[in-house]
Amino acid sequence: MKRIFKHPKPTDNDVVGPNYWRSPDELAGDPRFDTWLHQEFPSGAAVAEEGDRRTFLKLMGASFGLAGLGLSGCRMPKKYILPYSKQPENMIPGVSTYYASSQPGAKEHIPLVVETHQARPTKIEGNPSYAGFGGGTNGYAQASVLDLYDPDRARKSASKQAGTLSRGAALDEFIAAHKAYVPKQGKGLAILAEASSSPTRARLVAELKKKLPQTIWAEYEPVDSSNPEAALAALAGKRLRPLYHLDRAKRILSLDADFVATEPGHLKYARDFAKGRKILNSSEAGKMNRLYAVESNFTLTGGMADHRLRAATSHMPAFAALMAAELLSMTGGSQELIAVLKKQGTGLKVDQKWLTECARDLYKNRGEAVVFAGAHLPLEVHALAYAMNQALDAEGKTVTYVQLPDVDSASITTLAEAIEAGQIDQLFVLGGNPVYNAPADLDWAALQSKAGKVVRWGYHEDETAVDADVFVAATHYLESWGDGRTMDGVYVPVQPMILPLFDGISELEAVAHLAGVAFEDAQGYDLVRATFNAIAGTADQLAFDRWLTEGVLPESEFKVAVTAIAPANVVKFAAGQAMAAQVLSKDRLELRIVPSYHTYDGRYNNNGWLMEAPDPLNKLSWDNAVCISPQLAEELGLLANPIKMDRDGNLRMNANQFDTGREQAKIVELQVGDTVVKGPAHIQPGLADYTVVLSLGFGRTVTGRIGTDSRRPEARPHGFDVYPFVTAASPSLALNAQIKVTDEVYEMANTQEHWSMEGRAIIREANVEDYEKHPKFVDKMGMESHSPPIYGKHQDKSDQFKVTEIPRGGSAYETPEFTGEQQWGMSIDLNTCTGCNACVIACQSENNIPIVGKDQVLRGREMHWIRLDRYYSDGLNPQDNKEERMQIPHDPQVSFMGVACMHCELAPCESVCPVNATVHDQDGLNVMAYNRCVGTRYCANNCPYKVRRFNFFDYNKRDQNELYKGPLGEKNDVTTTQMQKNPDVTVRMRGVMEKCTYCVQRIQEAKIDQRTKAKDSANVNVKDGTIKTACQQVCPVDAIVFGDVADAATEVSRMKTSDRDYSVLGYLNIRPRTTYLAKLRNPNMAMPGAQQMPLSRVEYENRYGHASHGGDHGDAHASPSSAKAHH
Amino acid sequence: MIGWFVPKDFSFYNMANIFPKWSNTVPLKLVVALTLIGAAVVAGITYYATPKYLRVGYEPVQPVAFDHSLHVGQLGMDCRYCHTYVDRSEHSNVPSSGTCMSCHSVIKANSDKLKPIRDSYASGEPVPWVRIHDTPDYVYFNHAAQVNRGVSCVHCHGQINEMEEVYHAEPLSMAFCLECHRNPEHFIRPVDKVTDLTWKPESKEAQLEMGEQFVHDWKITPPESCSGCHR
Repeated sequence: MKRIFKHPKPTDNDVVGPNYWRSPDELAGDPRFDTWLHQEFPSGAAVAEEGDRRTFLKLMGASFGLAGLGLSGCRMPKKYILPYSKQPENMIPGVSTYYASSQPGAKEHIPLVVETHQARPTKIEGNPSYAGFGGGTNGYAQASVLDLYDPDRARKSASKQAGTLSRGAALDEFIAAHKAYVPKQGKGLAILAEASSSPTRARLVAELKKKLPQTIWAEYEPVDSSNPEAALAALAGKRLRPLYHLDRAKRILSLDADFVATEPGHLKYARDFAKGRKILNSSEAGKMNRLYAVESNFTLTGGMADHRLRAATSHMPAFAALMAAELLSMTGGSQELIAVLKKQGTGLKVDQKWLTECARDLYKNRGEAVVFAGAHLPLEVHALAYAMNQALDAEGKTVTYVQLPDVDSASITTLAEAIEAGQIDQLFVLGGNPVYNAPADLDWAALQSKAGKVVRWGYHEDETAVDADVFVAATHYLESWGDGRTMDGVYVPVQPMILPLFDGISELEAVAHLAGVAFEDAQGYDLVRATFNAIAGTADQLAFDRWLTEGVLPESEFKVAVTAIAPANVVKFAAGQAMAAQVLSKDRLELRIVPSYHTYDGRYNNNGWLMEAPDPLNKLSWDNAVCISPQLAEELGLLANPIKMDRDGNLRMNANQFDTGREQAKIVELQVGDTVVKGPAHIQPGLADYTVVLSLGFGRTVTGRIGTDSRRPEARPHGFDVYPFVTAASPSLALNAQIKVTDEVYEMANTQEHWSMEGRAIIREANVEDYEKHPKFVDKMGMESHSPPIYGKHQDKSDQFKVTEIPRGGSAYETPEFTGEQQWGMSIDLNTCTGCNACVIACQSENNIPIVGKDQVLRGREMHWIRLDRYYSDGLNPQDNKEERMQIPHDPQVSFMGVACMHCELAPCESVCPVNATVHDQDGLNVMAYNRCVGTRYCANNCPYKVRRFNFFDYNKRDQNELYKGPLGEKNDVTTTQMQKNPDVTVRMRGVMEKCTYCVQRIQEAKIDQRTKAKDSANVNVKDGTIKTACQQVCPVDAIVFGDVADAATEVSRMKTSDRDYSVLGYLNIRPRTTYLAKLRNPNMAMPGAQQMPLSRVEYENRYGHASHGGDHGDAHASPSSAKAHH
Repeated sequence: MIGWFVPKDFSFYNMANIFPKWSNTVPLKLVVALTLIGAAVVAGITYYATPKYLRVGYEPVQPVAFDHSLHVGQLGMDCRYCHTYVDRSEHSNVPSSGTCMSCHSVIKANSDKLKPIRDSYASGEPVPWVRIHDTPDYVYFNHAAQVNRGVSCVHCHGQINEMEEVYHAEPLSMAFCLECHRNPEHFIRPVDKVTDLTWKPESKEAQLEMGEQFVHDWKITPPESCSGCHR
């Protein structure tokens, strides 16, 4: 019955053109693409609905008819293979290529390695060649690849008069401006740019200033971090930058500095800090560092702190003065200075013992101690931090000062004055978005209209672009040549991975043309090459290629300088300023303005990954909030209704009001002077009582589809704009604010409703001292300390035996056999995890995880494979006292835990799947066969960790507001976004369950690579460290370790031998392959408020009884009644 | 209770027979017919709706009538001369026009049959070869893993060296893959014979003996679980 098909020869009419494109020019050559590009509106927006439906029905009817007649639908579709005409060298279809590059930033570039598939960047990874970050990156860098494919990015340059501009015409704007201003020596020309560390840009700016000396070159960053350098410049008379070496520090005092998550250089600081927290066994516990944090906002650094003091940001100068006085009196510093400092500190209410004991501890460890002041704090705090570090003998040990190259740029205020005075008749706005984010007191929108002709070079057609005379489309950094420096000055390249998708111009090209560089020399490559030659001191092509390959230039870091600042200078500095702390109250609040975890300063406003990834602390996605302390909430009468429990009634009260999982936030009005801003209030435990924390970057009026809340009939932006409170003098703090509660309620998508562990042993913690005495404390917590050992008589066998033999132990069922020689497992160190969210976004990027939109997050349908659980503990006992149950903690400890599929050996999800869609593979992975899944969701129901995610809709295919139309909904604009997708991972459709796969695509790639090398030998085992899961790769503190648990020599096996290794919900006998290392805290017992036990542990003991009596038996009493007996 | 709607003079004897006698066997006939039809449908789908029927034998007309039996069978070219990177990548590369031109710029340089190749080489447009072997998108098949470990091209692609025009020789269904993945010793051959499509084991027994040796010595463990091919 076999038939040989003889199909007709292809005719000319057959579409044989490229279905898939391999380079942007090919894409650009497609006529359909061109039409689409030139459409004013996306297709469908301009078509009347009714006619559309009719045509649809007609066509459907006709095609069904034809299908019935001719069975034409049964013909196998013809597909084509379109090989290269001339194969490019080193381009192997199916093998990804990695390029070294870096992500530009105001103060530092983040060195990257970018994964590309046939010249299509898909995934950002950190560059391990830069030792400071060790391959770590942050969420912003991870998500930046999505911006490249943002369908809402500007595609064409345009001018108000001439309409759309070609790339050449856009370049002409810059060339012509240069020519026009040469006779006037640049008088009347001004440029506002973003801060940059690029030596090439600095070189071009210098050239511009040489040729057009009267030009104003101004730089502006809304999140200002220039104060540390400015303070040292004022003191030492030269440009110095402090670099902290936290790996050498045993005692750290942070003054309002969030050095693990938002300070410039945070990746290195987090990594170095974590080095002092990596403890494998109790014998090493003594080497753990200790962190004192004084802060107003609850930051991730505060979350890691061993002692955290809540203090208002406006009180930091006074606090720093008192602390400096303490330290100086210990080191015998100048009495005059001490007296001045003490005077400055009067009026600040602070526990004297806190100061003294902290100072004593720092002093005892001088040479290994450091004081770290937040970059937003005023200059005098940085001067004092310098003085304190000198007193602690820190210079050259835990902090070094490096000499920075000189820069010559004006501030935005200077530029504003020049515009106001009518001196500017042409203004170039390069990057940034001043109409949205310039200090409110400058009223930039009005200023810009007075600046003559405004040329705007930008990535999006945003607020600033609306009124500009000429808009020039920018290229993404993955499409352009560039260079930059890391915080410590290492010279790194920015390499293009792909030709510009649209007609963009890179920043260097724009500046080069403004500077009048000859056209043939103004290509990005040539510009960077010239700078490289100068910096590396060689024109050797090999040296340049090596730089591009490695991604770092060895020995290019800034030189360490000796500061030698006279103490008298510091006194003068400290005495001259008003540092006194003013009293804050409900009617005199301070507003602390911080960059957002979602949008930073607003630049990532149209980035769906960042918008949807919940803020690590307040767990809000898609919105910012007016974060207020529980104290203030109480005074405002904003506390939530108590949770009603039917029987036990022992749940802790929620901080915020929830209705079926949706946060019901009261809208409040904030007022400073005449400025009023409205926003939803969120109660955030751990804030300084009268500090209100606001994050930037929301409430954009001109933004793309992601930044716009499309759920309502009238589209409005997500969140609210905080920039009205930003002033040129004080960009991160506003004082004398009032708050007023309105009756309006706003729904917010909060992904973690409840804040307490309720005393359960989910995250296990101990103090270092306790840990040294009871190394196996983790085994004495949780239900498994009572249940019979789950491995039965094999309980004490090695991990390797357990994962290969899978002893039946206490299981009622036969256990599976895993035949693979390598068995995969993971270990997560809770002691170093800072909760920075980078893993969440890396996973999203690697595994083609869709975003679902605010509406779906409100329904609890977010798709992240990793969720970051955050728990507060206040050590109170909700069991006993109804009063305590009704309290919101004012000063809690926080603990984070990343939770993804644990790959249980005896997986409960597998036994309930009616179609065998989730099963184990031979290497011990719990895998999902998407094609088998019919969407019963039993598995998710039976998963104790709740890590399975269900595709309720075609999230990958349809826009957020088209979801409910099902197959009739319009497909989204996937032409660009689908280019980001990882070709090694299936893009899941509606009705399918999904979850963490341990990056099975990376495992398979490594296994196949190894076998390809092994050929006819038995050398098939993948070497340890070859496979890095996406979350592991991104983690700046290396908290996640993945590898072969059947081999005792691997890093992950070593981690699992730790005495702190435990399984979450281990008593269920599901034997998760992901285990955790318990968290440690290292308090100084002499400090006021020092806890004998971490607060979560106190709660556990309150509920379940003492866990560590000592002795062999984990003597925890499970019944609440016996717990009560202790109290 | 239901009497209220029954006419007073109702009687069963007054009624004519509604159903004729033959209707007594209708249910039985229906059951038999439906069973037969059902069985036929199941059998039909089992046979016809499989790659073995739908794919095997697919032999589309290619833009250039490339003759494998000439190039491989007679001239003895190695597969990897054109299908570069088959041992390094998941894809077996289809040669670029440049590869053809490296010989055909000299040999048969003016042949009409080669015009599409020359055109493509000159214009940069690809030659639209019609895809014959096509695994679904959710299958992540990897060539390199096979050809480096003793699985010959011939197992999946048939006797390409004898084909004047390439056709789909094997079903390439999941059952087909698993047949080998479950019993690799029946198929595996010395690594240097992978691209030798004429190589045959001496006998079935010899293959089995050699195969078992290789499976043991090389630690051949073909994945049989989902994650091997589906991600």
